[in-house]
Amino acid sequence: MKVLESGTNEQLKVAAAQRDPALFAELYECNFDRVYAYIARRVPTRQDAEDLTSEVFHEALRNLGQFEWRGLPFAAWLLGIASKRIANRWRRNGQRPEVAQDSAEAPGMDAGIEETVMLSQLVDELPPDQSLVIRRRFVEQRSLRDVARELGRSEGAIKQLQFRALQNLRVRMEKRHV
Amino acid sequence: MSDTSLIDQLEAGIEALHARDESEQPPCDPEVTKLLSLVSQLRALPHGDFKMRLQAKLTEAAEQSAGGFAGGAVEILTAGDTGDQRETTETVFRRNVLGMRSNVAAKDLKYVSFDLLPTLSGTGQYPVRRGSFIASLAAHAAAVALIVTSGIWAAGRVETKPQVHSVLVTDISYVLPPSSTETHGGGGGGEHDSLQASRGNPPRFAREQIAPPAIVVRNEQPKLTVEPTVIGPPNLTFPQTSQLGDPFSGVFGPASNGTGSEGGIGSGNRGGVGPGNGPGAGPGWGGGIGDGPYRVGGGVTAPRAIYDPEPEYSEEARKAKFQGIAILQVVIDADGRPRDIRVAQSAGMGLDEKAIEAVRRWRFEPGRLGEKPVAVVVNVQVNFRLY
Repeated sequence: MKVLESGTNEQLKVAAAQRDPALFAELYECNFDRVYAYIARRVPTRQDAEDLTSEVFHEALRNLGQFEWRGLPFAAWLLGIASKRIANRWRRNGQRPEVAQDSAEAPGMDAGIEETVMLSQLVDELPPDQSLVIRRRFVEQRSLRDVARELGRSEGAIKQLQFRALQNLRVRMEKRHV
Repeated sequence: MSDTSLIDQLEAGIEALHARDESEQPPCDPEVTKLLSLVSQLRALPHGDFKMRLQAKLTEAAEQSAGGFAGGAVEILTAGDTGDQRETTETVFRRNVLGMRSNVAAKDLKYVSFDLLPTLSGTGQYPVRRGSFIASLAAHAAAVALIVTSGIWAAGRVETKPQVHSVLVTDISYVLPPSSTETHGGGGGGEHDSLQASRGNPPRFAREQIAPPAIVVRNEQPKLTVEPTVIGPPNLTFPQTSQLGDPFSGVFGPASNGTGSEGGIGSGNRGGVGPGNGPGAGPGWGGGIGDGPYRVGGGVTAPRAIYDPEPEYSEEARKAKFQGIAILQVVIDADGRPRDIRVAQSAGMGLDEKAIEAVRRWRFEPGRLGEKPVAVVVNVQVNFRLY
């Protein structure tokens, strides 16, 4: 599971990125799934989620120098930015959020978000063909025929592969939960 | 239930999810239901290409804000490296540090050398060579000290450039017409005899006087015999007789050099002939003949300098940053050469000597009396200035 890093290690990474913005990529890698999951649960479409995630990380990169370490994880700062961005988007559209938001004071990392983060990491840890078919079939929601053509296999073979991949993934998730 | 049946049930459920028609979800095995729940969660994951695109944009933005790439020199050889499959520093940096994908797998790496720039304070996550840091600090401090001290040294060595300006101050012919009354020239001498100089003719005129004339020769056997002369235009001649004497004297008596001083003949001084003062002949002074040298006026035009190199500054005056004005009185001969240079106003500090040395090299268009070039006395003012 892509767990939150220890405070000291993350603090060092933040300090390094503040001196050299090129090192921001490490913070991005650690927090991308979490920020995306947080936003995706609060906006109706994938496009909205991608737009807001992009805005959050660009704003974070711009304002990284203003970040002060106060004991909270760096992700909390990012989720704070995300929360404001989501609220602004709803306000701009003159609509009420269709999904529940966390407390405005302290945007948190609930269990659902952390499970999504873990799921993403477990998909990456699958054997390459299983990981690929999971990404194509379910994340990108491509048809069985497209995936079979891309991988050069029959549709029946792809059905079997995705079945084994999902079973494998479920077993790994259960192990993590244990 | 067989796997084939489960796979078919799963596929039907997946198709229903993709069609967003979960109400039409067919009844299925509990195992398939769990897997379909997992599929629902997977549908919420971000696209992999979106993550990569965003990462690329952020990297670009970070590099722009950082003002360049921050990696050290690196060269990486891959497993099949033949010399032309080398990756750039940036590629390796992106893969190893920024986490970007590369078409070279980590297991294929044979050799990696990567030196990141150390952080200044040494508290960052990169290793710091303290020796290098101290050496760099010392080198920078030395460079700064060198710059500062060189500036102070240069400021203290601002050299005042001596400037000398000379002017022929009697050259006033362009503003004043020549006087119609006054001309001068002459000289005189003597040897403190009790008798007036006896009458006779002066020796021949020459530009230089090495030996003054004498009627009574004191040294009968000189080691070096030199013809006595008086200073004046060489083309000016007196009737040359065997009897040297003062042509202005009325004494035809016993031979005498006269009552004057400093050699010569007559009642004057300074080696001439007559009652004057100088190496010329006559009652005036400064050489030549008559009642002193010509001056501008009386139909005499002023000489004009045609070659007048400026005097040098004396070392003594330059070191003392001394400034002054020297005025020299100079007789400009009929052939344009200066002679009988004397200091009319001293500047001191060796500047007078420098002025004389320079003016002695000057050449003039001579003053003229009518059409004839004549010797004329002029003043040369030399301004010694430090700027």
